[in-house]
Amino acid sequence: MTRVPFSFTRARLIGQNTLLEASRQKLFSFLLLLALSLVAGAQGFRDFNFGAPELKFLADLGYGAMAFFGAALTVAATAQLFFSEIENRTALTLLAKPVWRAEFILGKYLGIAAVAAVFCVLLTGLLAAVLWAREGSLLTEFPEAFPHGRTLHFADLVAAGYVQWLKLAVLAAFTLLVASFSQTQLYTVVTGFFVLVICHLQYLAQDASARGDSVFARAVAGAIGLLFPNFQLFNLAENVGAGVAVPWDRVAHVSVYALGYVVAAGALAVYSFRKREI
Amino acid sequence: MSSRPVRSQSTVSANVKSRLPALVVIIGGLALTGALLRLVEAPLWTVLRAEQPALRLDSTGAAAGQGVTLGLLGGFRAIVADFTWLRLHVLWEQRDLPATDTLLRLVTAVDPRPLYFWVNGARIIAFDMTAWRIAAAGGYDSVPEARQERIGAEQARLAIRRLEEAMTFHPANAALWVERANIELNRLHDVAAAAASYRRAWEQPGGPDYAARLHAELLKRLGRKAEALAWLVQLHPQLPTGDEATEIVLGRIRDLEKDLQVPAARSYRPPPGGPPGAKPGGR
Amino acid sequence: MSAGPSGTPAIELRGLVKDFAVGLRGVKLRAVDHLSLRVEPGQVYGLLGPNGSGKSTTIKIILGLLEPTAGECAVFGVPGGRVEARLAVGYLPESPYFYRHLTGRELVQFYARICGLSGARVPARVAEVIGWVGLTEAADRRIGTYSKGMLQRIGLAQALVHDPRLVILDEPTAGVDPVGAAAISALILNLKAQGKTVLITSHLLAQIEDICDRVAILDRGQLILEGAVRELVGVADRQALVVEPLSPVQLGELRVWLAARGRTLEAVETPRARLDRIFLDHVGRTAPAKREGGP
Ligand SMILES: Nc1ncnc2c1ncn2[C@@H]1O[C@H](COP(=O)(O)OP(=O)(O)OP(=O)(O)O)[C@@H](O)[C@H]1O
Ligand SMILES: [Mg+2]
Repeated sequence: MTRVPFSFTRARLIGQNTLLEASRQKLFSFLLLLALSLVAGAQGFRDFNFGAPELKFLADLGYGAMAFFGAALTVAATAQLFFSEIENRTALTLLAKPVWRAEFILGKYLGIAAVAAVFCVLLTGLLAAVLWAREGSLLTEFPEAFPHGRTLHFADLVAAGYVQWLKLAVLAAFTLLVASFSQTQLYTVVTGFFVLVICHLQYLAQDASARGDSVFARAVAGAIGLLFPNFQLFNLAENVGAGVAVPWDRVAHVSVYALGYVVAAGALAVYSFRKREI
Repeated sequence: MSSRPVRSQSTVSANVKSRLPALVVIIGGLALTGALLRLVEAPLWTVLRAEQPALRLDSTGAAAGQGVTLGLLGGFRAIVADFTWLRLHVLWEQRDLPATDTLLRLVTAVDPRPLYFWVNGARIIAFDMTAWRIAAAGGYDSVPEARQERIGAEQARLAIRRLEEAMTFHPANAALWVERANIELNRLHDVAAAAASYRRAWEQPGGPDYAARLHAELLKRLGRKAEALAWLVQLHPQLPTGDEATEIVLGRIRDLEKDLQVPAARSYRPPPGGPPGAKPGGR
Repeated sequence: MSAGPSGTPAIELRGLVKDFAVGLRGVKLRAVDHLSLRVEPGQVYGLLGPNGSGKSTTIKIILGLLEPTAGECAVFGVPGGRVEARLAVGYLPESPYFYRHLTGRELVQFYARICGLSGARVPARVAEVIGWVGLTEAADRRIGTYSKGMLQRIGLAQALVHDPRLVILDEPTAGVDPVGAAAISALILNLKAQGKTVLITSHLLAQIEDICDRVAILDRGQLILEGAVRELVGVADRQALVVEPLSPVQLGELRVWLAARGRTLEAVETPRARLDRIFLDHVGRTAPAKREGGP
């Protein structure tokens, strides 16, 4: 019997097709344009009494848009790109080929992670351009505010964008895990956003499990703390706009954390999809 | 190659399988992952949390509610706060006092970290709102002086309360104490309080030198010249050599010595070789 | 791909059972009921039955898309459900949908690469199979714009692109016009000529009768009839003659002639042209080319 080993080529092909599908869909272009125009339009909010570095505001806006629209995009894209295969029965044709279910899940994941990456790269690039231009004009207007010249470094902006993407990559893996056993797209989207919220509050659950009022409350909090990643960990680049450098060792640290969750959630998604009836 | 199909004849009812086992595996897998990755998470989280006392990232008591809001907003906190500030700016231009007041609270509730929300908020409360209230009461010309003073004092106290709140998020922050001293001096005309606040400002890490000088200045104004002289004498060695400000301080010391008729023998002598230089980080 | 050892059936089902849990309380619905079948290599095998009789379910089990509740299934001797079992199989699902964002050519290319074809061979092979199904002109249009019959045809192209030994077609002619249906019949016969095995379901019994070697008829998941088409439909002791019209007198003479030979004339009818025949004659558009060079 000819063996068919697991093939990254097939996973990559499925991923490419997923990315192509996303890029040809209006919803995603729309979200992307919205986020891009927000960042580009931030130039317009100049005429107000900020009293503090305007660059910080621009950076907040840019990374805020990345986090907000990125999360919406990731959850929607994961649910949509997964269920379009099931509901349009294209998965039927694909999985009737010599394709492992694990290749299918990995391919879908790669495609979605690529969608999120394209989003983050475009936004980071635009934000860097906007910040660079604004910093240049502030530099000539208020040289006394920049005693050491430019404060923003391109590498820090990129690191901040990368950390944003890491968070989206973890979110995508969890949403895909939900999709692998859920029956409807709506359920997946709702649960995906629920997961997003819980992950942001995970640290509270950790605290509560350490010193909760009742044994029951502690157990519940402990379980939440254990089952979900701590998304507050991805806030380590929040002050790039204020010229604060992003510590690389922490970026590496949080990368390991994200990778761990992506692998685990992905493996569980494969497990739960393995016997799914198409 | 085996031509014998692997699946054995099983009882028909064995299928129609429940999804419970799969759920158990998923939850178990996530729990195991969580336990393992806690080892990665914990050290970084401890550091990050310690660096952001302003976030009050804990769930004790009254902070729990705010913790939830902040946690929920996550990465969007900054952007939401920024837009709240934009909105506030519009209302401020319209001199809408109640709305401005509400948004001032909101903006710091959403994101208590940026100092400028607190400092500018306090200024708006102390200065702008005073002017709005006087204008609403008929203007500076028709409102009696005493009433104007009273309004100013009321607003100043509110502003100081804001700054005190800010200090719970930003302990050891010089700018907040400077702001407080300004309001105490210019609005409440409470020179003693202002002098104390300037001193606190100077005592914070990175506290500005002028706060220390203003402290002495206000002591002098209060007639506590000996105290002022003693303050400046202990201050001078901590200032950088050759600095203009350092020379001014020395000049003040000489003035005060003359005022107090300090004998030349007991007058202040700068340390030989000049002062040790930049003041140490924390005192 | 090596051919299985002689005697290995292309498809073998033994005691296959599939239950679906329906509704919240998980009431069982038996879609396939102890089905045993053997499809020999090189055969064109028809799976017939009324709606809901379990044809599509059986096919999905063969392809490992569903797990059987009980029983065994093997494709060229490889247990169904393993990836290896699908290596030499081409599949056209019933009422197929494909990635709407791709063009027909991109779609077939995608599946070709998924099936392990690579390099410069791909475009040529893709163009070839698209030619077989008569979609060359529409190949560069988005699939979202395809008509139902065009979807069936592109589905057929993707099922054949990797030159499978076993082709499984679930209602390939649903929604296809008679010209296309005739072309698909010709294509299937062509596959047979190359020694491929074809498993087909269809409600067009006339077409099945024309192309299939064997058929199985299912009802409520159970096999109720199985055999070679010739044996099942052939009425061996009767013959029909088609002649120009005879007058009553001439008919009488014929009866006498027959009686002298110990035969009786049982029926006299006016044969009617079959509508599909008329359609084919009048819409004489070139049926999609498929023969030369064959799949
Ligand atoms: N996923 C499913 N869940 C529950 N019941 C199903 C499912 N798939 C099929 N069935 C049921 O199984 C039975 C057989 O369905 P199947 O699709 O195999 O029929 P079919 O012979 O292909 O019919 P048709 O000629 O209409 O295509 C039907 O009663 C159908 O309702
Ligand atoms: Mg069917």
